[in-house]
Amino acid sequence: MIRLRSLRHCVALIAILLYAGFSTARWARRALHWPAHAGTDEVSVYERRFDRLRQALPPTGVVGYLGYPDPAGRPSDTVPSPALLHFRRYLLAQYALAPLLLVEDTTRALVVGNFEPGAERVPPAGFGTAGEFGDGLLLFQRGRP
Amino acid sequence: MIVALALSAAVSAALGTLALLRVWPAAGVPASRPLVGALGAGLGAGLSSLLLFAWLLLFGPTRAFPPAEVALLGLLAFAMYRSRRRLGLGTKQGEWLAGPARLLTPIFALALVAAAAAFVAMLRQEPHGEWDAWMNWNMRARMIFLGGPTWRTAFAPELPWSHPDYPVLVPSLVVRAWLYAGHATLLGPGLVAATFALAAVAVLVTALAALRAPSQGLLAGMVLLATPFFIQHATSLYADVPLAFFFLATVVCLALDDRAGGATPRFAMLAGFSAGLAMWTKNEGLLFTACVLAGIVASGRRAGWLETRRRLTHIGAGLLLPSLVVVTFKLTLAPPNDLLSTLGVERTLGRLADLARYGTVARAYAMHLVTFGANGLPGAVWPLAVFAGALGWNPVERQRPWAQAVAIALGLLLAGHFMVFVSMADELVRLLASSLDRLILQLWPSALFLGFMATRTLEEAGATEPLTPFAARSAALHQERTQ
Repeated sequence: MIRLRSLRHCVALIAILLYAGFSTARWARRALHWPAHAGTDEVSVYERRFDRLRQALPPTGVVGYLGYPDPAGRPSDTVPSPALLHFRRYLLAQYALAPLLLVEDTTRALVVGNFEPGAERVPPAGFGTAGEFGDGLLLFQRGRP
Repeated sequence: MIVALALSAAVSAALGTLALLRVWPAAGVPASRPLVGALGAGLGAGLSSLLLFAWLLLFGPTRAFPPAEVALLGLLAFAMYRSRRRLGLGTKQGEWLAGPARLLTPIFALALVAAAAAFVAMLRQEPHGEWDAWMNWNMRARMIFLGGPTWRTAFAPELPWSHPDYPVLVPSLVVRAWLYAGHATLLGPGLVAATFALAAVAVLVTALAALRAPSQGLLAGMVLLATPFFIQHATSLYADVPLAFFFLATVVCLALDDRAGGATPRFAMLAGFSAGLAMWTKNEGLLFTACVLAGIVASGRRAGWLETRRRLTHIGAGLLLPSLVVVTFKLTLAPPNDLLSTLGVERTLGRLADLARYGTVARAYAMHLVTFGANGLPGAVWPLAVFAGALGWNPVERQRPWAQAVAIALGLLLAGHFMVFVSMADELVRLLASSLDRLILQLWPSALFLGFMATRTLEEAGATEPLTPFAARSAALHQERTQ
């Protein structure tokens, strides 16, 4: 068994072991908080929202995108940064629909509408609604009545 | 699927280890068998990434890649078998069971198990990783893997926010895991993250064990595992932990090169290869490589100019292959860097002349460096300072040219990032808050390696009684048998 010769060596070892011990206890505690259900995180839930829409879209290519909230909207208590939230939702939509490319405009033949669930939405000028997929998700098609 | 993913990890680790064994000097470093395995896991992943990128350019993301890679591994194994080289390896296994290491090995194992369990729990909670992972690395992997013949869309200029100019080591390894698995499972990115986190810990522990003492390696490994941001950030599925691995591997190879004393060019070439893989991981790898070369030049007087020139030449040779891949990527696929292309000379000069920005960045540096690794205790630097203060420096190790070169390189790297913050960042405070810890994390394993190399070991400081004759004989016998 190790016999430590001096206080200095003891201090050196204890400094590292104390630091490591704190974290080990923390990791053990963290591991005990095992999530009961996988796939309940924000991104997984958001992805599942796009499942039906994905089947109505071509597998590759470029489509337009319209999202919410209005990035130029006024900040509120619930939405402190509308531009950031708008951007995050666009990124999540792009991630969910990859390898399809989403561009934030209405110059393409198809446009994905990602709106607040329950809100009334009119198609952009020159577009008609090609499909409603629930939870605020719509697909617009150019020239469709 | 789990078996296929495990196979993907095993193939790249075996590829790396065999390739290392092929080039490892016969009169290498004693007790370096575990080190070869640890380096092989990470460098092998880097090698697999280069292979997959070449495959993508030639054939696209096809499922023929895994069999081709396995065939290559078979060829390498056959070549190894035929050559029957005598390797300068060994495990020094007896020393892991003697002296302070006998006490520290089970404690380290406990820390490793706890950290691994937390890693899995955190990953299960956020399987897509954090913001940058799904908006950049994994999104790009999806576009390549699911895009089939249109995989180049992943680098379309319509996605400027996803930084399509960033190197693709991480996305390509995720794609590779999916090619083995047959579909885009979330376990793929997790496996890549786990590989590099574990390899970084393993390289730190085994390199210090080979070059100094097992106890020193175990203590450094415990500190790395105990650094909360290291494990947390690994589960974010960003590229910073893989980058930290390649920084560390470069630094370790420089130390091995120094120890070999010019007897072989291979460690310097490996350092160059690893630095090249850092460039293939993130753009920060370019700055790192430049800083390492500058550090070697700056410490040239101590090493001797002839030796410095030799080292630089061999590092340059090692850099060739990954540099070629990086340049090919930048010329054929990557759009211009969004940060650099939006820089105006006038705006940049204006920022550089703003002294308040220097103060803001300096304060943030001081604060983040001092509190980095806080885990309930105020930060990791405090226990490390106590450790070094109590045991003292090893004058020989501290004066070695590689140690001086690496210390200069890490200092230059911090200074380089300092100037990037001052000159480029629009939202300075937000950017410092979101990225400074990540930059420190990239350097952290290398800094730990340097620090523990330069500090006296418990054995050197006379912390323990000498081994009893029996224990010494038993350790020596054990070592003899295992070498």
